[in-house]
Amino acid sequence: MTEHHDHDGHHHHPQERSAAELRADALEALLAEKGLVSAEAIDAVVSYYENDVGPQNGARVVARAWADPEYRERLLADGTAAVKEMGFTGFELNTLVAVENTPGVHNVVVCTLCSCYPWPLLGLPPTWYKSAPYRARVVAEPRAVLEEFGLELADDIELRVWDSTAEVRYLVVPARPEGTDGWSEEELARLVPRDAMVGTGLAHAPDTVGSGEPF
Amino acid sequence: MGGMHGFGAVVLPGGELPYHERWEPRVFALWAISEVEGLGAGSGRALRERMPPDEYLRASYYERWLWSNEQRLLAKGTVSPGEIDAWVARLEADEQPPAAKRPDQGARVVDALRSGTGELAPAGETAFRVGDAVRVKRMHPAGHTRCPRYVRGARGTVGAVRGTYPLPDAGPRHRELEPVYSVSFSSEDVFGAVDEPPWTLHLDLYEHYLEAA
Repeated sequence: MTEHHDHDGHHHHPQERSAAELRADALEALLAEKGLVSAEAIDAVVSYYENDVGPQNGARVVARAWADPEYRERLLADGTAAVKEMGFTGFELNTLVAVENTPGVHNVVVCTLCSCYPWPLLGLPPTWYKSAPYRARVVAEPRAVLEEFGLELADDIELRVWDSTAEVRYLVVPARPEGTDGWSEEELARLVPRDAMVGTGLAHAPDTVGSGEPF
Repeated sequence: MGGMHGFGAVVLPGGELPYHERWEPRVFALWAISEVEGLGAGSGRALRERMPPDEYLRASYYERWLWSNEQRLLAKGTVSPGEIDAWVARLEADEQPPAAKRPDQGARVVDALRSGTGELAPAGETAFRVGDAVRVKRMHPAGHTRCPRYVRGARGTVGAVRGTYPLPDAGPRHRELEPVYSVSFSSEDVFGAVDEPPWTLHLDLYEHYLEAA
């Protein structure tokens, strides 16, 4: 957020607004004038994606798959049903396929056509995921892109790039870090950052995570 | 955009955030409300791709969403040409925007976003099976398609049958139910030999994009 903006959307001096912002505000005003869209409904949707859905959901799924071998099997066999079991449904989650990282395999997800992403599990995608550089490059030079994220894969690791071209959404199940035997699902979930579930990162090592807010 | 050159670094300061400006999530929310409340006509994605390419590449992500949502609202007749421009002028003249009274709208829309849309239906008869060698047809459709340019003509292998789904592509088969396959490709078959060790590419492709190889 830029600092000079307040958040209620109605009290900006015109000079502060970019052309895009002014046009967005104009469309909002027009639909309000027609009685079709309330500012409160817009606030509710923004709040839903800021507070109710986000990577904390996907992290719970991953943690459960790590802790519960039967759940892991269900998740890999039918991702849609397995996440529905945990209450995760919604737009951009028609069909979910979970792909698992193993010692010999690393998975990474992209949408080269636009920005497909499993919103109910990961929230709205980060800017880099929607950017032209990521969309263009991760299919054509994936190791170079992963290196930008600080992830260097050995040459003999099989790298799989999943391009979400249809209505299937992907969740990467990262490898469980060593030294986490006996951890609860709640503790394990703290080790799973968003990027690990897209494949541009790994799960955190246990000694790097404190007891505070995981995200 | 898969395979296009010249875009530069992926990891940039601030890139981890979903948005940066106050208006961006509101554009997204307005799109979601338009979708749930049936205020627009046509697919936002298909429309976004109709932006002139120089504008598309210059526009920010949420500028594209704003543009495509305007097109959908215009197509449905929910808004008329000139009305948004008129409100731009009114806001520039410091007019305060009106308030709409829709007390249940937020909860209704969030419920719909939470319950979501339909899963892919199970596939019945399919032309290809897991393990089949296939080739992506050479094609050059003018409208929306889910067949990326970078795999056209490439040989791959069916890895899974995902189910059937109404075809989103523009054209006479639009919305017809069609099987969707996960097809895997070796990077060498798509991009040739490059500096990196080979990798595999996995795309979900509609049946009519494919032929036996």
